Amino acid sequence: MKKQFLLSSLMVLLVVFLAACSSSESSETEAEAEASTGSGNESETTDNSESKAKQVVTFWHSMGGAGQEALNAIVESYNSSQDEIQVNAEYQGTYDESLTKFNAVAGSDSAPTMIQTFEIGTKAMINSGQIAPIQEFIDADGYDMSGLEENITNYYSLDGTFYSMPFNSSTPVMYYNKDAFEAAGLDPEAAPETFEEIIEANKAIAKANPKMKGFALQAYGWLWEQLLANQGALLLNNDNGRSETPTEIGWSEEEGKSIFNWVKQMVDDETFANYGTNGDNMVAGFLAGDVAMFLQSSASSRDVIDNAPFEVGIAYLPHPEEKERQGVVIGGASLWMIDSKPEEEKKAAWEFMKFLQTPEVQAQWHVGTGYFAINPSAYGEQVVVDAYAEKPQLQVTVDQLQDTKSSFATQGALMDMLPEGRKIMETALETVYNGGDVDEAYNTAVEQFNAAIQKANAARGE
Amino acid sequence: MSMTKPMPDALEIQEINFESVKRKQRVKSFTKGMLFLLPSIVLFGVFLFYPLFKTMYLSFFLTNARGETTVFVGLQNYIEMFTSPIFHQSMKSTFLFVLYTVPTTIIIALLLAVLANEKLKGIGFFRTIFSSTMGISVAAASVFWLYMFHPSIGFLNRILNLIGLESIGWLTDPNWALIAVAVTTIWMNLGFTFLVLLGGLQSIDSYLYESADIDGAGYFYKLRRITIPMLSPTLFFVITVTIINAFQTFGQIDILTQGGPQNTTNLIVYSIYREAFSNYQFGTASAQAIVLFIIILVMTIIQFKLGERKVHYQ
Repeated sequence: MKKQFLLSSLMVLLVVFLAACSSSESSETEAEAEASTGSGNESETTDNSESKAKQVVTFWHSMGGAGQEALNAIVESYNSSQDEIQVNAEYQGTYDESLTKFNAVAGSDSAPTMIQTFEIGTKAMINSGQIAPIQEFIDADGYDMSGLEENITNYYSLDGTFYSMPFNSSTPVMYYNKDAFEAAGLDPEAAPETFEEIIEANKAIAKANPKMKGFALQAYGWLWEQLLANQGALLLNNDNGRSETPTEIGWSEEEGKSIFNWVKQMVDDETFANYGTNGDNMVAGFLAGDVAMFLQSSASSRDVIDNAPFEVGIAYLPHPEEKERQGVVIGGASLWMIDSKPEEEKKAAWEFMKFLQTPEVQAQWHVGTGYFAINPSAYGEQVVVDAYAEKPQLQVTVDQLQDTKSSFATQGALMDMLPEGRKIMETALETVYNGGDVDEAYNTAVEQFNAAIQKANAARGE
Repeated sequence: MSMTKPMPDALEIQEINFESVKRKQRVKSFTKGMLFLLPSIVLFGVFLFYPLFKTMYLSFFLTNARGETTVFVGLQNYIEMFTSPIFHQSMKSTFLFVLYTVPTTIIIALLLAVLANEKLKGIGFFRTIFSSTMGISVAAASVFWLYMFHPSIGFLNRILNLIGLESIGWLTDPNWALIAVAVTTIWMNLGFTFLVLLGGLQSIDSYLYESADIDGAGYFYKLRRITIPMLSPTLFFVITVTIINAFQTFGQIDILTQGGPQNTTNLIVYSIYREAFSNYQFGTASAQAIVLFIIILVMTIIQFKLGERKVHYQ
């Protein structure tokens, strides 16, 4: 009897388990979205009952880790600084996940008042018809945007109109292990600047320490875009999609292949560390002394410097020897206003956006994360001055941005298929990392990239 | 009919009545049946049939980022899909993945279940250990394996280095990535498969073994002639479920490789996810989903046709 009872209860458990298995996968995202919007509503209502006059602003963001801590601190200080507006910051996962959720609730009551979206989502957001351009609020308020960093406003202003408010911006930089440079007899204060110099430095490092690889390039489409822009190459035609909708790729074969050939050379030299598409593994490898140099967003600089058991150097993004350095495209994200929300709520969100641009907040943000200060006067704040005195590397990221020459190439591309384009380039890079043929990988990638552009244009149905 | 000919009037009326009564009854019992089925029909309709037809509908269109249809393209999504090398790679990987995971999982689980079925002291401890992976979520297991596979500080590569072998780029080498994901999956599915098989083993009546013992049958003879045939319904169930699960693998891919390197682990469900939610091509994604649906449908039908013949139900 006992055994039978055990067996039957086991069966019941199994059935429950099976049911949970089959349904969890498909409905996970929906449930998540529901849960998050549900919790959002809950907090709204409780906040309302606490102080009935407060205007609630729901703010969806994608800042995890150190960024989330810094952002929460800023939101808290804003909420306690005045008693008219209550900002509820809600973490919604990565930019991709957050956008997916937003598309599901757009136009309904569950939609947030403002949402943080990555730079390559700019065109898709404008095309979505769900957003209110920030320019409306700038004009109504007489707000002066010229105080903001020029290279950043260049990206987000289209024909002189701001659609979204820049917020967290970063650029790629090269991190290097100064101790390893010294051990290899290289000057730790003069990091290699060109592809060719890196190849040479790699050899020296490998000679001094056969266990250490010289260079790592994460297979990450964003880095590919940056390496192109640094040569002055366009990603898309029609001025990177800024004068007209792009119809094909904008870079030349020479410009595109220079990156592939550079990587190929390092792979052949066996000085290249392949971490695939995984950025965390790459940073862990760098910290463990497995690789001496890597490219990564300046937003990680705080993390890397604090966690490395050796001296970390930060340098400009490399470029091919025969090309002049053009600088970098601004990466990161901006804040979007959702059109379907009541006027009062949008005004409150606008107030919060303005608060985020003040030098004090930007200084705190810059030092806490490694993202840029959107407002350059933040660099004069005492917190920043102190941080630079302690960690002078942080300043390199700012210098690189300010040395950038403004052109269509460094303004960055606008198109709604850019996330797909990144995946295509990542696959191509991985092919070369694993010893694939450069010409074949390159040609396939270009073909797929062009097809993706055409498909995106067709899907718009214009 | 020929019987009714001599007395047409009276009989005809009777017959019409009979027919209509019969029809009425049939309608009545049909409505009754439908009423009983209604809850499940509604549930199936809302959660299965509607999405299925919507998916079919979407697969003939191009869509915008919100998934709203914009341009009707007919079969173009399908044509593009079948000519795309990425999709070919995806199909190849999916079938390879099924091939790697399903037989291995079942053989290992069966081995463990047979071992754990022995009546020994402390066997409960081993049964718990063997089924313990069932309690670990896909995300937790994947993160755990992610560290095991780490190229430089990972446990596996350290072992390899220790015994003097070269490090392997488990998740970055296209020759290894699919195997690495398969190993993770086998490890994760083992607990569930083991538990079901053990349950099947324990429900086999002991008198079969007793009479075999009297006849002087050896251990392996009993295993081959009693255990496996009596276990066949459970095995059949496990095989079906494992195959379907393998086709629908998503979580571990998303965490371990994101479909890379070079799309070698871009299994079909991950490919659908990527098309829909990172490329916003809901049309292409729907077309792929339909292909997956057909594959699983065909596989299941084949299994039932083949399985029914071989499976021995008590």
